[in-house]
Amino acid sequence: MTEFLQLLFQGVSLGATYALVALGFVVVYRASGVINFAQGAMLLAGAYTISWLATDIGVAFVPAVLASVALLALAGAGFQAGVLRRVAGEPTFVLVMITIGAGIAVTALIEALFGADQRLLGDPWGSSSFHAAGVTITWVKLWGIVVTVAALAAYFAFDRYTRWGLAMQATAEDEEATLSLGVPVARVHLITWALAGSLATLGGLFLAGFPSSPQPTLGDAALRAFPAIVLGGLRSPTGAVVGGLLIGVTEVMTSGYAPSSLGDNFYAVAPYIAMILILLVRPYGLFGRAPAERL
Amino acid sequence: MRRSPSIATPLAVIGASLVIAACGTGDSNSGDDGSSGGTSAGTVKGGPGVDVAAKTIRIGDINALTGPASALGKPVAAGHRAFFKALNASGGIDGWKVRLTIKDSGYQPQQHVQIYNAIRNKVALLDSFGSPPTKAIQALLDRDKLVTTPASFDSIWGADPVIAPVGTPYSYDIANALDYYTKQGKDKPKIGIVYQNDEYGQDGLRGYKAAKDKLGFADGGRQTFKAGDTEFTAQIQKLKTAGAKAVVVVALPSSTGPIVGTAAALGFKPQWILQGPAFLEQLITKDGSLNAKPTPVAAALKGALVTSFSAPWGDPGAPGMKELVAAHDKYEPGQPPSIYFALAYASSKVQAAILRKAIGDGDLSREGILKAKQNLGEVDLGGVSPSVTYTPDGGPPSTKSLITRIDPSVDGFLKPVEESYGSDVADGLGTGG
Amino acid sequence: MRRVALPALVVFAVLLPFGLSAAQLTTATFVVIAAIGATGLNVLTGYAGQISLGHAAFVGVGAYTGAVLGSDHGLSAFVWIPAAGVAAALLGALLGPIALRLRGLYLAIVTLGLVFIAQHVFFNAGGLTGGPQGRAFPAVQLGAFDFSPGKVLELGAVTIDSSGLYYFLALILFAAATAFTWNLRRSRAGRAMVALREREAAAAVMGVDVGRVKVTAFVVSSFLAGISGALYGSYLSFAQPDQWSLLMSIQFIAAVIVGGLGTTAGPLLGCAVVFALPSLLKDLPFLPAEGSGGLSAGDLTSITYGLLIVAFLTLEPRGLVGIADRVRRSRGNDTPSKTPKLTVTTPKEAHP
Repeated sequence: MTEFLQLLFQGVSLGATYALVALGFVVVYRASGVINFAQGAMLLAGAYTISWLATDIGVAFVPAVLASVALLALAGAGFQAGVLRRVAGEPTFVLVMITIGAGIAVTALIEALFGADQRLLGDPWGSSSFHAAGVTITWVKLWGIVVTVAALAAYFAFDRYTRWGLAMQATAEDEEATLSLGVPVARVHLITWALAGSLATLGGLFLAGFPSSPQPTLGDAALRAFPAIVLGGLRSPTGAVVGGLLIGVTEVMTSGYAPSSLGDNFYAVAPYIAMILILLVRPYGLFGRAPAERL
Repeated sequence: MRRSPSIATPLAVIGASLVIAACGTGDSNSGDDGSSGGTSAGTVKGGPGVDVAAKTIRIGDINALTGPASALGKPVAAGHRAFFKALNASGGIDGWKVRLTIKDSGYQPQQHVQIYNAIRNKVALLDSFGSPPTKAIQALLDRDKLVTTPASFDSIWGADPVIAPVGTPYSYDIANALDYYTKQGKDKPKIGIVYQNDEYGQDGLRGYKAAKDKLGFADGGRQTFKAGDTEFTAQIQKLKTAGAKAVVVVALPSSTGPIVGTAAALGFKPQWILQGPAFLEQLITKDGSLNAKPTPVAAALKGALVTSFSAPWGDPGAPGMKELVAAHDKYEPGQPPSIYFALAYASSKVQAAILRKAIGDGDLSREGILKAKQNLGEVDLGGVSPSVTYTPDGGPPSTKSLITRIDPSVDGFLKPVEESYGSDVADGLGTGG
Repeated sequence: MRRVALPALVVFAVLLPFGLSAAQLTTATFVVIAAIGATGLNVLTGYAGQISLGHAAFVGVGAYTGAVLGSDHGLSAFVWIPAAGVAAALLGALLGPIALRLRGLYLAIVTLGLVFIAQHVFFNAGGLTGGPQGRAFPAVQLGAFDFSPGKVLELGAVTIDSSGLYYFLALILFAAATAFTWNLRRSRAGRAMVALREREAAAAVMGVDVGRVKVTAFVVSSFLAGISGALYGSYLSFAQPDQWSLLMSIQFIAAVIVGGLGTTAGPLLGCAVVFALPSLLKDLPFLPAEGSGGLSAGDLTSITYGLLIVAFLTLEPRGLVGIADRVRRSRGNDTPSKTPKLTVTTPKEAHP
């Protein structure tokens, strides 16, 4: 039983991080119809920026995190303004490929700048942990859950109660109409991408926590969050969070209980298999709806 | 009807090409094998990678300077460079100078093959990093009769005449370590193993299996993973559930950290037994030096057993160490002290011995160098590494292990507990399979 | 213009290997082998407008089919090369029904899943693939012609080495693939594919059997990917499951985009850029020596690669053919552009 609880804790912690990543995807998709394949690179950049500030420059940890969140928000907005805005009219396919290209370039750049070896994150928690009900709770994972909940609450409040949140929803629904109403849609897009950058940084921070560490393969985690957003339906933030949690828990539970006959690292493909099976039954995800097409 | 554009250009292309076409494609075109062949005034016979006129020998090194093993590969490259720079500076081998061609395959067997095919005709000897990549080119090495000193202690090399391993095979190390461990206590504890899913891991597994058969301890689980993996919840959970009291780790340092760390996060604290390359100084402190900031996983690694393969840096008990440190300080001062540097230095020493014998025999062709290697006998490595012996019969170059324990308070973090441990288990191992 | 240029092009392609160094020929051979696969992807994404991130899976299936039939069972290349195409095509046919139910980005994500699942199988089916360690692949042997490294073919005054032989074989297969797809484009099936790409619902209304067209596109694409894979593995002579990764899928997509989606010359042009890039960048003078830290050739390749994709799509989404078109038109040749508009169906969804 304690084993189950232990794995459950790991799963919820991982799921919280995936929820952040998935939310980052959904925020962008809702506003522009683009799946941001550069999310993994942003994750990576976030983790490395924190690591660089905290361990190489010697900045205290919390300011380092805040600074990194701000920097990545700027980078995201910058990418939108500098690149994506120029291809505004092009088909979504083009935009997606651009994010793929940007993702590849940024990941390689980080590796070129920092080397491929593992680095120290610089967080104050390290491997410290405590025990409760027979379960080992590492502080870094616990803080991951806490910060994620706070970030999600902040986002949902922003979405529901502020004008910018409303503007984002309107842009997502119908960009032309919103534009015609005088809403500064360009700024909405900037905010969207800035949000994506910040969420990615927080996600990257906890993915790089003990026993992991900042390393070039962190970006792959974003790819594992895909089933999360598909399950949730590409446009639903709630769906993204639920999907993220589900995928995290599934991944860890599969790790712990899957028989070896399914192969090494089965947990990495289990979410995709689950996703494909679900899509066969519900082609637009659990929370999505089929679009109505006008001819 | 449009006017057809001039066909002069295509014709010119055709004409030029026909001239070239009289030759051939690719390899058949050039004789760029860097060999000036033949005999030079009856002194020494040449071969690929040998420039008899300039008295220069070229040694290739297909290393892992990027990828999951780069933290080990870089010191290895530095060790090779330092040795030969020092050697050339002191007159070379009877006036022969040695040049290195260092390439990077990133610990990828596939890249390794590509690079090998590109340099095979240009070198007289080869260094090859890693068990999986070396295994991938083994058939090619045999075909080309190229004597190779691998940065790998797989037991299968002992059976291959062209390969000159420079240390006790991994399987022997694991067998010796398990023998040592089980003889410490009275009961037979459950022992598990987590190993890389390729040739490198296989050799550790061989040692584990031999030890299990001979010593009769219970199986605590056998878990695999891919080189470069950093997610180990599955494997650790299974070992924990099986109740393993000790776990053998056959991994690269980039995986060792997460393995031991995940176990700590899950509350699992077995006796860790690390196969040599699983350990790296940077696992204990940020840059591997004694007083730097400790890593989060250092605490969990304390007390782990590590089968090492060279004497501690600067060991006064090892006469060859002084020369090594001098070469390091002069030619590669930027390289932090590392057992991998020492390993590479020792293997370069072996190469120099092979070349010396071949030059003495007057034959630097592939066959000549191979013959020199096989009849080399014992090579004294000055205590940096145990001495190695090569005979026409093959077999492992040495069978005793250096067993150490991780102690964050000593320089290099490895405290020797057994300098030259041998066991019946190991002796029964043979070479590979 | 094409009528005069084509024979000249053919002659150029045939004579090219004789003017290249060994390393350059290796690159050129890989480019042509990849172009076979890219031609397939061009049908699926360029003609039929289906986004697929799963191309690497089909290439891998082709490679391992070739290895198992060629090395493990000793069959001749006349058998294992086509068989590789067939095996990959079967997998493509399986994917058809899934593609039927999914649109746009959902399909893209499913094909992403396909790459991961395929790699998972490759890594664990050690008996067939050698597991993470990798395995050797058979050299092509066509009757008397032995393509093994080290062997050469003498035709009178001309000597062709192993690389050259692979180059010519790939060239022949590529030419056949291009001829086939060129024909396909002008056939009824091809027109149906384009209708599908432009507006799926409208095509269905017009009587196009959407299901069959999608499956056909997948089958053709994966067949060519399989052939490409078999040659690729054989030429590489040794490969690990790592090889058939998402990155490879992206390279193929980049190649067809950079070349010009839906065009005839696109696949080869795009492959020439994408697959020759690493070798071109490797020897740049300002790169530090291998392994001495700082920017590595590999990193530089990836960075350039990513930037190229971004640049091309931002500035000229119709790829190299689009650029050639523009140049031609700016010279006063006012033939209407043959490059199709870059449409790939991604319907907007209803708000949940």
